[in-house]
Parts: sequence; C-alpha cells; structure tokens
Amino acid sequence: ETWNMPVPYGDTTFHTVNIREFAADVAEATEGALEIEVHSAGSLFPHGEIKNAVRSRQVPIGEFFLSTLSNEDAAFGVDSQPFLAASYEEAEKLWSAQKPVITELFAEQDLMPLFSVPWPAQGLYTEEEVLTVDDLAGLRFRAYNAALEKFAQLAKAAPVQVEAPDIPQAFSTGQVDAMMTSPSTGANSKAWDFVSTYTAVDAWLPKNIVVVNKRMFDRLPEDVQAAVLEAAAEAETRGWEMSVAEADAKKAVMAENGMAIVTPSDELMSGLKDIGATMMEDWKTSASEAGQKVLADYEAE
Amino acid sequence: MIRRLLDTLYLAGGAVAALAILAICLLVAAQVGLNILARVGGPAWSYTIPSYADFAGFFLAAASFMALAHTLRSGVHIRVNLLISRLNPRATWGLELLTLALATALSAYATRYAISLTHESWDYGDMSSGIVAVPLWIPQLFMDAGLVLLTLAFLDTLVESLRARRPVIADAGEA
Amino acid sequence: MSDPLIFSILLAVLLVMLAAGTWVAVSLLALALFAMTFFANAPQGLVLATSLWGHSHSWSLASLPLFILMGEILLRSRLSQDMFSGLAPWLGRVPGRLLHVNVLGCAIFAAVSGSSAATAATIGRMSVPELTERGYPQSLILGTLAGSATLGFLIPPSIILIVYGVATEQSIARLFMAGVLPGIMLVALFGGYVSLRAMLSPSIIPEESQSFTLREKLHASRRLIPVMLLILGVIGSIYSGVASPTDAAAVGVILSTLLAFASGGFNWTSFREALMSATRTSCMIAFILMGAAFLAIAMGFTGIPRNLAAWIGGMELSPAALLVALTIFFIVLGCFLDGISVVVLTTSIILPMVEAVGIDPMWFGIYLVLVVEMSQITPPVGFNLFVIQGLTGVDILRVAKAALPFFGLLLLAVLLISVFPGLVTWLPEAMANR
Ligand code: NA
Ligand code: NA
Repeated sequence: ETWNMPVPYGDTTFHTVNIREFAADVAEATEGALEIEVHSAGSLFPHGEIKNAVRSRQVPIGEFFLSTLSNEDAAFGVDSQPFLAASYEEAEKLWSAQKPVITELFAEQDLMPLFSVPWPAQGLYTEEEVLTVDDLAGLRFRAYNAALEKFAQLAKAAPVQVEAPDIPQAFSTGQVDAMMTSPSTGANSKAWDFVSTYTAVDAWLPKNIVVVNKRMFDRLPEDVQAAVLEAAAEAETRGWEMSVAEADAKKAVMAENGMAIVTPSDELMSGLKDIGATMMEDWKTSASEAGQKVLADYEAE
Repeated sequence: MIRRLLDTLYLAGGAVAALAILAICLLVAAQVGLNILARVGGPAWSYTIPSYADFAGFFLAAASFMALAHTLRSGVHIRVNLLISRLNPRATWGLELLTLALATALSAYATRYAISLTHESWDYGDMSSGIVAVPLWIPQLFMDAGLVLLTLAFLDTLVESLRARRPVIADAGEA
Repeated sequence: MSDPLIFSILLAVLLVMLAAGTWVAVSLLALALFAMTFFANAPQGLVLATSLWGHSHSWSLASLPLFILMGEILLRSRLSQDMFSGLAPWLGRVPGRLLHVNVLGCAIFAAVSGSSAATAATIGRMSVPELTERGYPQSLILGTLAGSATLGFLIPPSIILIVYGVATEQSIARLFMAGVLPGIMLVALFGGYVSLRAMLSPSIIPEESQSFTLREKLHASRRLIPVMLLILGVIGSIYSGVASPTDAAAVGVILSTLLAFASGGFNWTSFREALMSATRTSCMIAFILMGAAFLAIAMGFTGIPRNLAAWIGGMELSPAALLVALTIFFIVLGCFLDGISVVVLTTSIILPMVEAVGIDPMWFGIYLVLVVEMSQITPPVGFNLFVIQGLTGVDILRVAKAALPFFGLLLLAVLLISVFPGLVTWLPEAMANR
C-alpha cells in the first residue's frame, strides 16, 4: 500500500528531512508493505487544507503547524504563547501536558497525532540592537496572529500584517522593521539581506505535528501499525535533536553572514516576560476548558 | 416568466460578485490609508484592519464563484472555437449538446461535494487561522451558491439549446 | 501502464475535449477527474471540492481582479487614448512605432504586478483597441502583448519566484534581484524583434502622422501626465513601504478612478460597466485557475510528473545535456499544465539533480521562470492565450501562432543566460557585497 503524505514545508527544512526519514523507516520496517510518498512544499494541498484532507480521508496522513488550529481550540495554540515555555526542557514539559488533551480533541475529528517536533525558539530580528522593551516602541512589527498583534501592542510597537513571502520586500521598503521568527526561517530566507541584528530572546517554541486518519490507521495490519508507531516515536526523538542542532547551526550561519547574534540583556528579558505574563492572564480569561487543563497540567509538573 | 427569473438570478449572482471585488478594493485601500496615516502621524497613529488579507481572500472566493453563471451566459468563459466553427450546423449543435451535458454533469458533481465540504466545516466548527476567527462554512456558502447557480445555468443552456436546435451562447468578443 | 503512455492518453483526452469546444476550465476539471479516477486512489469528489476551495481564497490572487478593474477603468476613460497620443510623436521614427508601447507598457506594469495574466489583461485592455484602431497588424499586436506580458513573472515582484523561493528555500530578495537583468534583456530582445520586423517590411506599420518639432512633442506629452501620475503612485506606494505589492493593486484602482473622473468622459455608469466587465474577466481566469489547480493536484496523486522528472534524472546527463532535456520536459509539460504547477510538482525531484551537476539554484530559478513564461504562450493550456482570447475574442490557437516568435525569443534568452550565467548572478552578488 502507498500513502500520500502532504507536508507544507520545502525539502531542505529539517521537519521535511525528518519526515522523509520517517517514511523510509516505515518502508524498511514493513518491508514495503506500507510506502509513504511525501509531497513537500504544499505541492499536494495548500497548508491550510492539510488537516481537513486527512480528516476526510483524502490522504491518510499529513503534517501542519499546530497552532494554526488555535482558533478552533485554545489547547492547540498553547505552544505559541510568548514566554510560557521558552526552552527545550520547558517545551518538552508543555508537550507532555498538551499531548493527551489534544489527542482527545483530535479524536473527535477522527485524527490521531503520531509525533510533533518544535521549531527552534523564536528570536527578534531588527536593524538596531534592542536593549530594553522601550527600544521596540514605534517599530513596525510583523504580526501574523492574534497573539503577536497583542504582543506588539503591549510593547508599544505598531503591528503590521505581512504574509510570509512578502517579508524581504516588506523589510527593504520599510513596511516592517521588526519580526519574531525562528533562526531556521531567518537563515533560510537570508535575513542578513534585510536586517542586521538577531536577539535570541527565545520567546516560544511552536511545533509542527504529524497526524494520521484513525480509521485508515486501524485498517492496517497490526504489525504494520506497530511499525508506524515505532517509527513515529523515533522520528519524534530525532526531530527534537535535529531542532536543537538546527538552532545552533542556523545562528552560526547568520553570524557568518555578518549578522550580530545578541544575547538579550536582563532588562529586555524581564520587560518581555512581563508582557508574556500579561498575555497569559488575558489568555486564561478566554481559553477553553481544554486549554485551561493543558496549562494547569503544565504548571503542576 | 421562468426565463426572466433565471436571467435575474444569474445577474444577481454577478452583482454579488462585483460587490465582493469592490469590497476587496475598499478593504485593501483602507489599510493602505491607515499605513499612510501611521507614517505621517507616527506610531501612536498605527491601526490595522484585523485579518484583512483573510477577508480579501474570502471576498475573492465569493467573487469567483458567484459570477460563474453570469460569466457563462455572457459568453466570457473561453473555449476553442477554431475547429468546431468549420463543421456543419448539425454537427456543431451535436457537439454543443455533448459539451453542455458534460459540463452540467461535472458542475453538479462539484456542487454535491462542495456542499458536503461546507457541511463538514459546519459540523466540526472549522475556523480560519488568522487574528479574527471566521467560521469557514460562511465563506464556503458562497462557493456552494455559485456552483448551484452554475449547474443551473449549464442545465438551462442545455435545455435551451435542445429546443433551439443550435448553440445559444454567443462568444463575447467574436473577432 | 507506463507513465509516458498514461501521459499520452491524458493529453489526447484533453485535446479531444478542447477541440469539441468544451470550456477550457471544464476541460481541465474533467481531465483531472478522469486522471484521479483511473490512475490514482483517492476520493476524487472530496479532493475536487478541497482544491476548488483551497485555491480560490488565496491572498496573493486578490490583486488579480483589482488590476483587471484598473485596466477596465482606464479603457473607459480618456487616459489610455491620451497615453497613446502622447507617446506617438516620440515613437514616430522608431521602427515599429507604437508597438513598443506594448513591450514597454508590459515591462513597467511588470514592476508592479507579479502575475503575467494580470499584466496581459491590464495592458492589453488599453493597447489592443488603440493599436487596432490605428491600423497595426493584428498578429504583431497580439504577439507582442502575449510575449511581453510574460515579463510579469521575471521583473520583480514575481509570483513564480516566490513559489520557487519558498519551495527551495532560496532568498526571495536575491531571486528578485537576479530577475532584473534578464528582464531588461528580454525587453531588448522583444523590442529588437519588433524593430527588425518593421524594418524588413515597413509597409505593415502604419504612419504616425507628420513629423513633430521638439516643442510640439513636449506639448503633446502633457497628455502623459495623468498616466505618469498613476504609475508613480502605484510604484511609489510599494517602494515607500505603505503598500505590499498586492495592496498596490487597490491603490491603482483608486488612483485610476480619480484620474478618470478628473480627466473627463468618465461617469458612474462607466464605472459600473468597468466593474461588471472586470468581474466577468476575473471570474473566467479564476475558473481556469481552479481547473489548473485541481489538475495539478491530480497529477500529484498520479505521480506522473515526478516519475517523468526522475526518469530524466536517471539518465545521468552532463550539465548541458541535462538542461536541454529539462527544457524539452518543461515545454512539453507546460503545454498542458500551467507553469507554476509544473514548478511545484517537480522541484523536489529536479532541484537535487540540478545541484548535483553543479548548477547554481538561484540561476536555475531564473531559468525556470523563462521556461514557465514559455508555457504561458503555448497551446492548449497557456494563461496569456486565455486572457487575450478573453479580451479580444481571437481564438487561442491564432493568438498562439502570433506569439510563436516570442516563444523563440524566450528560448534564445534561455540560451543566452546559459552561455552567460553572469547575466543572472552578477546583480544579486554585487548587491550582497555592497
Ligand atoms: Na513582476
Ligand atoms: Na502552455
């Protein structure tokens, strides 16, 4: 049997590399009984349609950016709350609190999570060095979701909506002058062509997730199911390691190309964490029950 | 009577589509206006229309689908005429019926699945992922309505063409 | 069944449907459904609905109806007429005369729009009626328009370079830079071809009245002021950072409406007509785009383009031979898939083999744009052809014939950048080392 697997990112993104290894592992472990054909860079379905395509069994398996579902339930978006879980240890803790809750939510949609891998922590890209939160005031700050818009407002920056492909042009024309993203995205889009400073504020570690359609999974012979689950567990471990290595490697690439890689001042960090705390308070008042449960479990650990 | 009703329906669809295009234009222009304001007035004056890109996309979808039937009846959907125009009238008519039957069937098929997609979005409460959470079934309704109109227009044209014993849609810009 | 055989069957099915007079969009949808049903295992109805929805609400397409509306407004105002009368005295002695407006107009518009269909629709809306009325030969009007509109992809901003840059993680800023010199080269090639044709048979180009003194020329040029304001306003909104390239389309509509009212002869009735006409034209293009998107997804499920690409990879060719093979491959696929889909469906197979023989991926991006541009003007599936048939009613096969020399010039451009890769790489490198 051959499974088509749509993934949103290009072939050189470490998530895609990891998924191709996962596919190879499955094929090897099942001696070809299950082959997974990976369709990268959104070539099969646009990113926004992948989850629903798996749900309605157009494809059995797919990958997407987990917090795009935060409008459906706050539990999906916990990993994109600034400064809630800002290191790999915290992110791992958060994932173990989040996983059982979203597994239940996904089950309602006939979906089963296989594995989830974080992007390196999000840092700050600016032209000038940012020493305190006050330095952010007045900057045109790229915001692509509600949380970032709120974040920009609290930092007294001006939120600007720019779609990802427009980023280089937006920087070079002055439409935006600050953004938060991972070192991976920064290095891959050659951020040094338009900004000169990366401040490693490590704000949050958003995750990609691979889900499978439960009914199509259940139809597999038991030994194949076991092989898929085993390969998925390995892919999760490997993916987290790749993410750690990626964070350092991509920061090095940016440094080599002349960007200043700055460790944030204590003053900046305490200011940013205050903003994060304010946002968490807001979040708690509006989050779903499932979202609250993830947070409670995370804080209890 | 029925003829008038159908033509009004197609035109109404076209008018909704035109309004949607106007809405994209005004929405985007308003955001550009706000950007200019922020440049002139400084950061204290910066405002954004939340999710304006998402809304522009949804308006675009509404415009594209709602205008399908009106565009068909106006002869603007394009086709290759060079070869059929050399056939005798009887053969031209036969092929017209054949292509209309194919188009009607295909359009009905697409409509059926588009509606089931919308139904699923409604069932699961699918939301857009931007700053403003929009239930996806709302913009998808325009897709369904537009496809229903298109199926109706294809069927209508098929029946008309059967009765008239010739193709009834003229090409918009015959040269 | 082997992939080349399946491919031939599909091509035959498409040709039969098109020849029978089936609407282009319906033919593409039906072909995709046929391919999904017989050569893939996926629920085709659901996939059809997902592609219709998923490819109809994208932000990057939102500028298309707006640019088309801008063209419709200009057509109904005095602005487009004025532009031609203002330029006529200046181009009177240039071989080819006002035909160069098509080439240069497309080049300027390409600096605003990332799409070649929008370029063809907006410029063609104004230039085709004007040039036809002045007695220029139809084949050259349509050929220059179809050919030059492809510049929309090469001169930044460019949708196709964004797609390629995102899929292969190349710097989009550098790809945009890399497109500039080849873009200028193409403008020169197209302009040179027009001049050459005009010199070889001067009789086909109508006289542009008497000769003018410099004073008269300058006096006539005052008519260019509104159009210049429009161009400056739209380009200025992008480069001052108040508008993204997509936003700029709305700026264009607002400015052209204001200028149209100000220059007289335009009223709300004309605006309503322009809006309805733009609605129909963009609907026609959107419907075909949806058909093309579903066909691309169907091809993704069947795996045919990947397998064909892999088959070329298996031949272990030298860099030059590989490029020749790929060019043929892209031209053939580009006949019946739209160019962007070809790139999306095949890059993950093709880029590794291209890099393996030492070809620079940035250079390859520009090469791809050129071959994708060719696919825009080859029948049966070529978007510029569709747009121009929509504008003029001239059958796509006739438009394709008129565009054939420009297909040749695009091939020549591919040859030139292959022999002189510096045309592509010099500018981005110079910018990076500044
Ligand atoms: Na362009
Ligand atoms: Na083509």
